[in-house]
Amino acid sequence: MAELDFKLDAAPTLGGLDRVIGANRLVECADMALVSIAIPLGGDTELSAALSRAWQIGVPSPTRSNDSGSIRAIRSAPDQLLLLFPHSGPDAAETVATQLGDTGYVTDQTDGNVFLEISGPQTAEAMERICPIDLAPEAFPPGASARTMMEHLGVWILCLGPQSFLLWSPRSSARSFLHAIETSYHHVTGQ
Amino acid sequence: MIINHPLLGPRDAAEFVYKGDVSLIDRPDGMAASLEEMHDFVHLRDNPAGAHRELWYHAYGDRSWLVVTRDTTTHEITKVELARDVARGRGRSR
Amino acid sequence: MSQKMRIDGGLIDRDTTLKFRWNDRWLTGHPGDTLASALLANGEKLVGRSFKYHRPRGIFSAGPEEPNALVELGRGAARTPNIAATTIELQDRLYAKSQNHRGPLAFDLLSVNDLLAPFLGAGFYYKTFMWPKAFWEKLYEPFIRSAAGLGALSGKADPDIYDHGFLHADLLVIGAGPAGLSAALAAGRAGARVILADEDFRFGGRLNSETYEVDNASGSDWATEVAAELSSMPSVRLMPRTAVFGTYDHGIYGALERKPDAGVGETPRYVQWRIYTKRAILAAGATERSIAFPNNDRPGVMLAGAARAYVNRYGVAPGKRMAVFTNNDDGLRTAQDLRSRGLSIVTVVDTRAGDQVTGTSGRQGLRSIVVNDTQEVEVDCLAVSGGWSPTVHLTCHHRGRPVWREDIAAFVPGPDLPPGMTVTGAANGTLSLGSILHEGHSAGMTAAAELGFTGSAGSVPTASDEEVKITPFWHVGEAKGRAWVDLQNDVTVKDIKQSQQEGFESVEHLKRYTTLGMATDQGKTSNVPGLAILADARGATIAETGTTIFRPPYSAVPIGAFAGRSRGKHFRPTRLTPSHEWSAANGADFVEVGQWMRAQWYKRPGEAGWRDSVDREVRMTRGSVGVCDVSTLGKIDIQGRDAAEFLNRVYSNPFLKLPVGKVRYGLMLREDGFAYDDGTTARLSETHYVMTTTTANAELVFRNLEFARQCLWPDLDVHLISTTDAWAQFAVAGPKSRALLSRVVDGLDLSNDAFPFMACAECTVFGGTPARLFRISFSGELAYEIAVSARYGDSMMDGLITAGQPFDAVPYGLEALGVMRVEKGHVAGAELNGQTTAQMLGLGSMVSKKKDVMGGKLAERPELARADGLRLVGLRPVDRTASLRAGAHMFEPGAPEDMAHDLGWVTSVAYSPELSHMIGLGLVKEGAARHGSTMRAFSPITEEDVMVEICSPHHIDPQGDRQRG
Repeated sequence: MAELDFKLDAAPTLGGLDRVIGANRLVECADMALVSIAIPLGGDTELSAALSRAWQIGVPSPTRSNDSGSIRAIRSAPDQLLLLFPHSGPDAAETVATQLGDTGYVTDQTDGNVFLEISGPQTAEAMERICPIDLAPEAFPPGASARTMMEHLGVWILCLGPQSFLLWSPRSSARSFLHAIETSYHHVTGQ
Repeated sequence: MIINHPLLGPRDAAEFVYKGDVSLIDRPDGMAASLEEMHDFVHLRDNPAGAHRELWYHAYGDRSWLVVTRDTTTHEITKVELARDVARGRGRSR
Repeated sequence: MSQKMRIDGGLIDRDTTLKFRWNDRWLTGHPGDTLASALLANGEKLVGRSFKYHRPRGIFSAGPEEPNALVELGRGAARTPNIAATTIELQDRLYAKSQNHRGPLAFDLLSVNDLLAPFLGAGFYYKTFMWPKAFWEKLYEPFIRSAAGLGALSGKADPDIYDHGFLHADLLVIGAGPAGLSAALAAGRAGARVILADEDFRFGGRLNSETYEVDNASGSDWATEVAAELSSMPSVRLMPRTAVFGTYDHGIYGALERKPDAGVGETPRYVQWRIYTKRAILAAGATERSIAFPNNDRPGVMLAGAARAYVNRYGVAPGKRMAVFTNNDDGLRTAQDLRSRGLSIVTVVDTRAGDQVTGTSGRQGLRSIVVNDTQEVEVDCLAVSGGWSPTVHLTCHHRGRPVWREDIAAFVPGPDLPPGMTVTGAANGTLSLGSILHEGHSAGMTAAAELGFTGSAGSVPTASDEEVKITPFWHVGEAKGRAWVDLQNDVTVKDIKQSQQEGFESVEHLKRYTTLGMATDQGKTSNVPGLAILADARGATIAETGTTIFRPPYSAVPIGAFAGRSRGKHFRPTRLTPSHEWSAANGADFVEVGQWMRAQWYKRPGEAGWRDSVDREVRMTRGSVGVCDVSTLGKIDIQGRDAAEFLNRVYSNPFLKLPVGKVRYGLMLREDGFAYDDGTTARLSETHYVMTTTTANAELVFRNLEFARQCLWPDLDVHLISTTDAWAQFAVAGPKSRALLSRVVDGLDLSNDAFPFMACAECTVFGGTPARLFRISFSGELAYEIAVSARYGDSMMDGLITAGQPFDAVPYGLEALGVMRVEKGHVAGAELNGQTTAQMLGLGSMVSKKKDVMGGKLAERPELARADGLRLVGLRPVDRTASLRAGAHMFEPGAPEDMAHDLGWVTSVAYSPELSHMIGLGLVKEGAARHGSTMRAFSPITEEDVMVEICSPHHIDPQGDRQRG
């Protein structure tokens, strides 16, 4: 049988979306990796040490994140962390596992999500329409992070700066998610 | 309704899924329990007018199970605990 | 037509003229007008017809309490009925029509109802239309239905856009009158995060309609200055045009914001806000009420406070010759205000002086009033004041009961306020301005201080403090002619007395029997007079009589505002499989399965109907190889030292000894013993498993596993992550599946010895892309499932079909998958329906007796375990050309088709291309013992009646040779 010459193509969920609505911008972050680390029962100290060794970051407190510059750690549950970092291959979990050894149970969540960075002067106003969490700067400063519900979808929201957020939500419903965000911008900008 | 998550602060009840009475934690050992005991565990609940301890799941949050103490006559919530801690306190372990 | 009733002054912008359409005529007004004030300015007194008797009605109030002036706003599909003209901010080219009349407004054909009034009194539909009995359905009800109701819906899809949103605050101030403004100012200055909401488009409340001074400025100027200061504070959000309509649990308030400048198709017309706040100050003011006297409903009779509002705020004279009828000092103030503006006040009738208005005349507008039965006075407007009722509604939404205060003859909020709420100003029964400002300021400062904001609240605004004296007077007695209490529902004093006489004497009964206080205005002007009259009739006090319970919403909220943007296909999220684009480009026909869009079949040229496509997909898969996206199955990553122990406890069958590199089918039971989900779990390493669940139960299973992990065995080291969306997973099924995959998988020995049935492995495909391979089969064929990162979904499908070209590999859809599972006898949703046990499904032997199985104990209950219970069987029509119908019930041949003889039902059917006839699965009593026998499948709905042969559910390859080959 003839040799098969076929290579798999990776497709960004939203086709690498980069859209401007009014003075606001929505960008799909296709090269973002998300890896969860479950903390073994009773293993908090070991994991904390491993994180510190690997990236010089500590375990963040709930609702906050720690950013090393190259990788960001988010406390996603009492016994779970998320690591968020730029990475393009399908092997993000392995790179983390290599660093952490058996101090944490690693699961790749990159492909389970679509990542959208939103920014611009009407971003907070747009988010008011769909986000039940208080995103006022004093309540949700840069680095703050939460998982909540927007338009019936589970969504993680991370504050990057004033009027700037990174959102991620399940990949399969990416278009509905985008529709929710775009509709909010349309409604507050009239554009 | 708002549930004041012990780790995450106040969250809209829409993020949660309700299960029922906290006694659902006290599952008898199926090998040791009689049919009657198991039946009571599965089907029988108190129905208090007043403080009720109940299980809520933070489905659109950190996926913690919580024990919420809520007054069924006023909806006032007086206490919210991580169910895992409550379970350990009720003698559950491995 | 010129604005003939326009006078000087007011808070309108005379430099700009707005044109608007009223009953298809062009009229003009100014920014700052409401539709009501503009209509009055244009001399339009008759604006609508009453609900029941179609009596001519005019503008009665200047606010949301309006019972009469309801209009249809907008045209075509965008037409919205029953909007109070007093709340509509005038816009250029606004389009409105009067409603509730047949023919022109002035010659309403249904005004005949007014002549029939003797038959249409309280509870008329319970009495008048009771006989002859047959007439109700045929005559009365259709007539009443067509005549009843106020405005009409357009009958078309609403083109307006609605939205919702979430707001957070330390303090929500409801109402921006003197109390609300001073409260918001004090709290805002102290540093609190404040939301100030008012349903009006202009802040100031009554200050805009009165001639009071605050801090030595006119009340409206003071309000403007305060609003300007508040808007300069970054922590304060001003929300005009926003009605707070409901008080909900734990500091949540519902509010509706109108966006009058919204264009259809661009931005929302309404935004429904959910406001989360730590404290709330209710400063909703008070609503004036009328006095009931004969024929008090003619256009031109209006509330005294409304008359002042039209004069002072809108620069409109409500009449040319006016009179005042009052039981309190506020009425006197009206005469003073109006006279000072040069208007003619011909008489003031004060009940405290023993005077009464005892009648009126004027068909379509007031011409004269009769004073004390004798003196006829020509007037075209009568301003009536029966006192003020604090707007207590939002204090009652947690079932708080207002209490009666005799000195002001009004209900005020009781002590049982919603947690976190303070009431201030007129809403609290404080009716003089100086005290209102003081109370508001103090409430704002206190709320801020309690929340830890200690900035200076500034000084208390000052104003004069005139006491308002009132002597309650509700209705003119011994009257001739009907005296209206509820103008919106045409309820008279007589109706209320009759209700009491007929035994409906609790306020709640009164409301239902007479409809007092129903419909859009919810009796804002009529409730208190109504129950005062009831109390009098009962010989009880008003306090003893009490009020009806106020429930949300305080004011009308369009249903569209609750639906928000969740319309059409955006009603809920849509989920797409990772190979959706490939499928769409390759002829797939999609079907909604829950939130998922799944390919049901892939149509090829020349195929006439779906059966052609599905039969081909099944034949080619069983004949060679087919590929199907099965990514919708729930996937849960399970890791931990105790993962094996955990799995062994949550599955009914044993899992402790599953070796690394193997997959096992697992069945989960509910604690009550019924089966609820099945799937496979693969062991990737000592501490790492991957579970699959059914598509429908993915979330439920995950939640239940989290419950078991956190609440039942909190000290097991086990961790769960949902990875459903992370993997694109494909079934590759058919005798050539191994050959196909050997062209895809890099360097893994796929021989039956090296990779047997129920093996699994982590591997790579197409030269290095990480993948997971499972040898599992839902079709009964030699089959695999292969998973790659979801980003490769479309490409992987393409790659698998490309690799399968030498074998004529086909993509197959959900329908073919379903056919093959029925052929193989696997259970799915129709069998796992929550009413079946493992034993009924033929899986009883899987359930372990050696461990504590969740649900195992209750599955042993005698009724569930009975030997003659339902069992899963296969079904075939005796006449092989006959069709089968899922849902048909099973009977012994010759038995009557009734409940007593019902022996089960057909759960799933399919046409089997392999067997060339229809087949089915069913649940039949004593089914296992019936193999080989004949029964009758009867569908009482379609009347299909088919003789079927009972057989093993495994229609093909019962020994499982193919999948193990």
